[in-house]
Amino acid sequence: MPAVAKDFVPVLVATGGSTRVHKAVAPRFRAGDHVLVRTMTPEHHTRLPRYARGRRGIVEQDHGVFVFPDTSAHGQGEKPQHVYSVRFTARELWGPQASERDTLRLDLWDDYLDLVV
Amino acid sequence: MSGHSHTAPPSDPELRIKALESLLVEKKLINPDAIDAIIETYETKIGPRNGARVVARAWVDPEYKARLLADGTKAIAELGFTGVQGEDMVVVENTDEVHNVVVCTLCSCYPWPTLGLPPVWYKAAPYRARVVSDPRGVLLEFGTRLSDDVEVRVWDSNAELRYLVLPQRPEGTEGWSEDRLAALVSRDSMIGTAVVPAQGAAS
Repeated sequence: MPAVAKDFVPVLVATGGSTRVHKAVAPRFRAGDHVLVRTMTPEHHTRLPRYARGRRGIVEQDHGVFVFPDTSAHGQGEKPQHVYSVRFTARELWGPQASERDTLRLDLWDDYLDLVV
Repeated sequence: MSGHSHTAPPSDPELRIKALESLLVEKKLINPDAIDAIIETYETKIGPRNGARVVARAWVDPEYKARLLADGTKAIAELGFTGVQGEDMVVVENTDEVHNVVVCTLCSCYPWPTLGLPPVWYKAAPYRARVVSDPRGVLLEFGTRLSDDVEVRVWDSNAELRYLVLPQRPEGTEGWSEDRLAALVSRDSMIGTAVVPAQGAAS
Protein backbone atom coordinates (compact mmCIF):
# COMPACT_ATOMS: atom_id res chain seq x y z
CA MET A 1 0.00 0.00 0.00
CA PRO A 2 1.59 3.30 -1.05
CA ALA A 3 1.82 6.10 1.50
CA VAL A 4 -0.68 8.94 1.17
CA ALA A 5 0.85 11.82 -0.78
CA LYS A 6 0.61 15.38 0.50
CA ASP A 7 -1.57 16.45 -2.44
CA PHE A 8 -4.12 13.81 -1.58
CA VAL A 9 -4.62 15.00 2.02
CA PRO A 10 -7.32 17.63 1.26
CA VAL A 11 -9.30 15.03 -0.72
CA LEU A 12 -8.93 12.44 2.02
CA VAL A 13 -9.92 14.88 4.76
CA ALA A 14 -12.95 16.13 2.82
CA THR A 15 -14.37 12.78 1.74
CA GLY A 16 -13.57 10.35 4.54
CA GLY A 17 -14.73 6.77 4.30
CA SER A 18 -18.03 5.64 5.72
CA THR A 19 -18.34 2.06 6.96
CA ARG A 20 -21.98 2.11 5.89
CA VAL A 21 -22.79 -0.77 3.56
CA HIS A 22 -25.31 -0.21 0.79
CA LYS A 23 -26.64 -3.72 0.72
CA ALA A 24 -30.06 -5.07 1.57
CA VAL A 25 -29.64 -6.93 4.84
CA ALA A 26 -32.72 -7.88 6.85
CA PRO A 27 -32.87 -6.16 10.24
CA ARG A 28 -33.34 -8.45 13.23
CA PHE A 29 -35.07 -5.71 15.25
CA ARG A 30 -37.22 -2.66 14.80
CA ALA A 31 -37.96 0.47 16.79
CA GLY A 32 -39.83 -0.32 19.98
CA ASP A 33 -38.37 -3.82 20.42
CA HIS A 34 -37.17 -4.72 23.90
CA VAL A 35 -33.70 -6.20 23.69
CA LEU A 36 -31.18 -7.89 25.95
CA VAL A 37 -27.52 -7.17 25.26
CA ARG A 38 -25.55 -10.39 24.98
CA THR A 39 -23.09 -11.21 27.70
CA MET A 40 -19.76 -12.01 26.10
CA THR A 41 -16.12 -11.63 26.97
CA PRO A 42 -14.37 -11.89 23.63
CA GLU A 43 -10.62 -11.88 23.13
CA HIS A 44 -11.10 -10.01 19.86
CA HIS A 45 -11.92 -6.39 19.04
CA THR A 46 -15.46 -5.37 19.86
CA ARG A 47 -17.50 -2.16 20.12
CA LEU A 48 -19.72 -3.60 22.82
CA PRO A 49 -18.83 -1.84 26.06
CA ARG A 50 -18.70 -4.05 29.15
CA TYR A 51 -21.16 -1.91 31.13
CA ALA A 52 -23.98 -2.72 28.68
CA ARG A 53 -23.51 -6.50 28.61
CA GLY A 54 -26.46 -8.34 30.13
CA ARG A 55 -28.57 -5.14 30.28
CA ARG A 56 -32.02 -4.52 28.85
CA GLY A 57 -32.89 -1.64 26.55
CA ILE A 58 -35.34 -0.55 23.89
CA VAL A 59 -34.48 -0.11 20.20
CA GLU A 60 -35.15 3.50 19.35
CA GLN A 61 -33.85 3.85 15.81
CA ASP A 62 -32.37 1.74 13.04
CA HIS A 63 -29.29 3.50 11.63
CA GLY A 64 -28.95 1.15 8.66
CA VAL A 65 -26.33 -1.40 7.66
CA PHE A 66 -22.66 -1.12 8.66
CA VAL A 67 -19.51 -3.24 8.57
CA PHE A 68 -19.24 -5.41 11.69
CA PRO A 69 -16.04 -4.39 13.52
CA ASP A 70 -15.68 -7.63 15.48
CA THR A 71 -14.86 -9.48 12.25
CA SER A 72 -13.53 -6.74 9.97
CA ALA A 73 -10.90 -5.64 12.51
CA HIS A 74 -9.35 -9.10 12.17
CA GLY A 75 -9.59 -9.39 8.39
CA GLN A 76 -12.45 -11.86 8.73
CA GLY A 77 -14.90 -10.09 6.46
CA GLU A 78 -17.41 -7.26 6.67
CA LYS A 79 -20.36 -9.32 7.95
CA PRO A 80 -22.62 -6.29 7.28
CA GLN A 81 -25.56 -5.88 9.65
CA HIS A 82 -27.89 -3.26 11.12
CA VAL A 83 -26.81 -0.85 13.84
CA TYR A 84 -29.47 0.45 16.22
CA SER A 85 -29.66 3.26 18.71
CA VAL A 86 -30.68 1.48 21.91
CA ARG A 87 -32.08 3.37 24.89
CA PHE A 88 -31.18 2.30 28.42
CA THR A 89 -32.35 3.83 31.66
CA ALA A 90 -29.54 5.01 33.93
CA ARG A 91 -30.95 2.73 36.65
CA GLU A 92 -30.78 -0.36 34.43
CA LEU A 93 -27.09 0.31 33.87
CA TRP A 94 -25.94 1.74 37.19
CA GLY A 95 -28.46 0.69 39.82
CA PRO A 96 -30.74 2.53 42.21
CA GLN A 97 -28.40 5.41 43.02
CA ALA A 98 -28.69 6.69 39.43
CA SER A 99 -31.25 9.35 38.53
CA GLU A 100 -34.68 7.98 37.74
CA ARG A 101 -34.92 10.44 34.86
CA ASP A 102 -31.60 9.95 33.09
CA THR A 103 -30.97 7.69 30.11
CA LEU A 104 -28.17 6.55 27.81
CA ARG A 105 -28.11 5.82 24.08
CA LEU A 106 -25.68 3.31 22.66
CA ASP A 107 -25.34 2.17 19.04
CA LEU A 108 -25.29 -1.62 18.84
CA TRP A 109 -24.94 -4.14 16.02
CA ASP A 110 -27.42 -6.97 15.43
CA ASP A 111 -24.96 -9.58 16.71
CA TYR A 112 -24.81 -7.90 20.14
CA LEU A 113 -28.55 -8.23 20.81
CA ASP A 114 -31.34 -10.71 21.54
CA LEU A 115 -35.05 -10.02 21.55
CA VAL A 116 -36.81 -10.00 24.90
CA VAL A 117 -40.23 -11.59 24.55
CA MET B 1 23.31 29.56 39.01
CA SER B 2 22.01 26.06 39.50
CA GLY B 3 23.80 23.16 37.86
CA HIS B 4 20.75 22.26 35.76
CA SER B 5 21.42 23.99 32.49
CA HIS B 6 20.80 20.95 30.28
CA THR B 7 17.55 20.31 28.41
CA ALA B 8 15.24 17.70 29.93
CA PRO B 9 14.82 14.58 27.75
CA PRO B 10 11.46 14.17 25.97
CA SER B 11 8.72 12.26 27.80
CA ASP B 12 8.21 8.54 27.19
CA PRO B 13 5.10 8.97 25.00
CA GLU B 14 6.94 11.60 22.95
CA LEU B 15 9.87 9.24 22.39
CA ARG B 16 7.52 6.39 21.49
CA ILE B 17 5.75 8.58 18.92
CA LYS B 18 9.05 9.71 17.39
CA ALA B 19 10.21 6.08 17.17
CA LEU B 20 6.93 5.00 15.56
CA GLU B 21 6.97 7.87 13.11
CA SER B 22 10.55 7.28 11.97
CA LEU B 23 9.84 3.56 11.51
CA LEU B 24 6.71 4.27 9.45
CA VAL B 25 8.64 6.77 7.32
CA GLU B 26 11.58 4.39 6.82
CA LYS B 27 9.21 1.63 5.73
CA LYS B 28 7.52 4.13 3.40
CA LEU B 29 4.14 3.55 5.02
CA ILE B 30 3.65 7.23 5.69
CA ASN B 31 4.84 10.38 4.05
CA PRO B 32 6.03 13.09 6.47
CA ASP B 33 4.76 15.88 4.17
CA ALA B 34 1.28 14.33 4.26
CA ILE B 35 1.38 14.08 8.06
CA ASP B 36 2.33 17.77 8.29
CA ALA B 37 -0.51 18.66 5.92
CA ILE B 38 -3.01 16.72 8.05
CA ILE B 39 -1.82 18.40 11.26
CA GLU B 40 -1.94 21.83 9.64
CA THR B 41 -5.46 21.18 8.38
CA TYR B 42 -6.79 20.41 11.85
CA GLU B 43 -4.77 23.15 13.53
CA THR B 44 -5.77 25.97 11.22
CA LYS B 45 -8.69 25.01 8.98
CA ILE B 46 -11.05 22.59 10.69
CA GLY B 47 -12.30 23.19 14.22
CA PRO B 48 -15.31 23.98 16.40
CA ARG B 49 -16.05 27.21 14.49
CA ASN B 50 -17.51 24.91 11.82
CA GLY B 51 -19.92 23.36 14.31
CA ALA B 52 -20.82 26.83 15.61
CA ARG B 53 -21.88 27.82 12.08
CA VAL B 54 -24.17 24.80 11.94
CA VAL B 55 -25.72 25.66 15.31
CA ALA B 56 -26.21 29.34 14.47
CA ARG B 57 -27.88 28.44 11.16
CA ALA B 58 -30.24 26.07 12.98
CA TRP B 59 -31.10 28.82 15.47
CA VAL B 60 -32.12 31.32 12.79
CA ASP B 61 -33.59 29.01 10.17
CA PRO B 62 -36.31 26.58 11.37
CA GLU B 63 -36.34 24.72 8.05
CA TYR B 64 -32.59 24.15 8.24
CA LYS B 65 -33.00 22.96 11.81
CA ALA B 66 -35.65 20.43 10.72
CA ARG B 67 -33.32 19.11 8.01
CA LEU B 68 -30.42 18.99 10.46
CA LEU B 69 -32.32 16.88 12.97
CA ALA B 70 -33.73 14.62 10.24
CA ASP B 71 -30.41 13.97 8.43
CA GLY B 72 -27.40 15.52 10.15
CA THR B 73 -24.83 14.42 7.57
CA LYS B 74 -26.70 15.96 4.66
CA ALA B 75 -27.62 19.23 6.40
CA ILE B 76 -24.05 19.74 7.70
CA ALA B 77 -22.75 19.11 4.16
CA GLU B 78 -24.97 21.99 2.95
CA LEU B 79 -22.55 24.30 4.82
CA GLY B 80 -19.56 22.53 3.28
CA PHE B 81 -18.49 20.43 6.26
CA THR B 82 -17.83 16.83 5.28
CA GLY B 83 -15.16 14.20 5.59
CA VAL B 84 -13.22 11.95 7.94
CA GLN B 85 -15.11 11.17 11.17
CA GLY B 86 -18.17 13.02 9.93
CA GLU B 87 -19.38 10.49 7.38
CA ASP B 88 -22.48 9.57 9.40
CA MET B 89 -23.65 12.41 11.64
CA VAL B 90 -26.51 12.61 14.11
CA VAL B 91 -27.52 15.95 15.65
CA VAL B 92 -29.30 15.84 18.99
CA GLU B 93 -31.25 18.81 20.29
CA ASN B 94 -31.20 20.19 23.82
CA THR B 95 -34.62 21.31 25.04
CA ASP B 96 -36.19 22.37 28.34
CA GLU B 97 -36.77 18.66 29.01
CA VAL B 98 -33.60 16.98 27.68
CA HIS B 99 -29.88 17.76 27.96
CA ASN B 100 -27.62 15.71 25.70
CA VAL B 101 -23.96 14.91 26.34
CA VAL B 102 -21.59 12.91 24.12
CA VAL B 103 -18.77 10.54 24.99
CA CYS B 104 -16.90 7.66 23.40
CA THR B 105 -16.23 5.20 26.22
CA LEU B 106 -14.11 2.79 24.17
CA CYS B 107 -11.79 5.33 22.49
CA SER B 108 -12.16 8.95 21.41
CA CYS B 109 -14.63 9.03 18.49
CA TYR B 110 -15.50 12.65 17.75
CA PRO B 111 -17.05 14.59 14.83
CA TRP B 112 -13.91 16.05 13.23
CA PRO B 113 -15.44 18.10 10.35
CA THR B 114 -17.61 20.11 12.77
CA LEU B 115 -15.52 20.13 15.97
CA GLY B 116 -11.93 19.47 14.85
CA LEU B 117 -9.78 17.17 16.95
CA PRO B 118 -11.02 16.25 20.44
CA PRO B 119 -9.75 18.03 23.56
CA VAL B 120 -7.41 16.05 25.83
CA TRP B 121 -10.04 15.58 28.55
CA TYR B 122 -12.46 14.02 26.03
CA LYS B 123 -9.87 11.32 25.28
CA ALA B 124 -8.90 10.81 28.93
CA ALA B 125 -10.13 7.84 30.98
CA PRO B 126 -11.70 9.89 33.82
CA TYR B 127 -14.20 11.62 31.51
CA ARG B 128 -14.93 8.49 29.47
CA ALA B 129 -15.42 6.30 32.52
CA ARG B 130 -17.43 8.71 34.65
CA VAL B 131 -19.70 10.68 32.36
CA VAL B 132 -21.76 7.57 31.58
CA SER B 133 -22.45 6.62 35.20
CA ASP B 134 -22.44 10.08 36.82
CA PRO B 135 -23.19 12.62 34.08
CA ARG B 136 -24.61 15.20 36.50
CA GLY B 137 -21.50 15.05 38.69
CA VAL B 138 -19.17 15.41 35.70
CA LEU B 139 -21.20 18.29 34.24
CA LEU B 140 -21.05 20.06 37.58
CA GLU B 141 -17.24 19.89 37.39
CA PHE B 142 -17.56 21.70 34.04
CA GLY B 143 -19.66 24.34 35.82
CA THR B 144 -22.92 23.07 34.34
CA ARG B 145 -25.67 22.48 36.88
CA LEU B 146 -28.82 20.84 35.56
CA SER B 147 -32.23 20.83 37.17
CA ASP B 148 -33.56 17.51 38.45
CA ASP B 149 -36.50 18.02 36.08
CA VAL B 150 -34.24 17.70 33.04
CA GLU B 151 -33.43 14.28 31.60
CA VAL B 152 -29.70 13.88 31.03
CA ARG B 153 -29.25 11.80 27.90
CA VAL B 154 -25.77 10.38 27.41
CA TRP B 155 -24.75 9.34 23.88
CA ASP B 156 -21.93 6.77 23.84
CA SER B 157 -20.59 6.96 20.28
CA ASN B 158 -18.50 3.77 20.02
CA ALA B 159 -20.08 2.67 16.75
CA GLU B 160 -20.00 4.49 13.40
CA LEU B 161 -22.32 7.42 14.11
CA ARG B 162 -20.86 10.73 15.28
CA TYR B 163 -22.88 13.11 17.42
CA LEU B 164 -23.19 16.88 17.60
CA VAL B 165 -25.28 18.53 20.30
CA LEU B 166 -27.52 21.39 19.21
CA PRO B 167 -27.51 23.62 22.30
CA GLN B 168 -30.50 25.77 23.25
CA ARG B 169 -30.44 29.28 21.91
CA PRO B 170 -29.81 31.53 24.91
CA GLU B 171 -32.13 34.25 26.10
CA GLY B 172 -31.20 37.80 25.20
CA THR B 173 -30.21 37.00 21.60
CA GLU B 174 -33.45 37.91 19.83
CA GLY B 175 -32.75 39.48 16.46
CA TRP B 176 -29.02 38.66 16.53
CA SER B 177 -27.27 37.93 13.24
CA GLU B 178 -26.04 34.43 12.43
CA ASP B 179 -22.40 35.56 12.76
CA ARG B 180 -22.97 37.08 16.18
CA LEU B 181 -24.77 33.94 17.33
CA ALA B 182 -22.03 31.65 16.00
CA ALA B 183 -19.46 33.54 18.09
CA LEU B 184 -21.36 32.52 21.24
CA VAL B 185 -21.31 28.79 20.57
CA SER B 186 -18.51 27.03 22.46
CA ARG B 187 -16.98 23.68 21.59
CA ASP B 188 -18.10 22.26 24.94
CA SER B 189 -21.71 23.28 24.32
CA MET B 190 -21.65 21.09 21.21
CA ILE B 191 -20.25 18.14 23.20
CA GLY B 192 -22.83 18.81 25.89
CA THR B 193 -20.58 19.53 28.86
CA ALA B 194 -21.61 23.20 28.76
CA VAL B 195 -24.63 25.29 27.83
CA VAL B 196 -24.61 28.59 25.96
CA PRO B 197 -25.18 31.23 28.65
CA ALA B 198 -27.94 33.85 28.53
CA GLN B 199 -26.86 37.21 27.10
CA GLY B 200 -27.61 40.79 27.97
CA ALA B 201 -27.23 43.05 30.98
CA ALA B 202 -27.02 41.25 34.30
CA SER B 203 -30.10 41.97 36.33
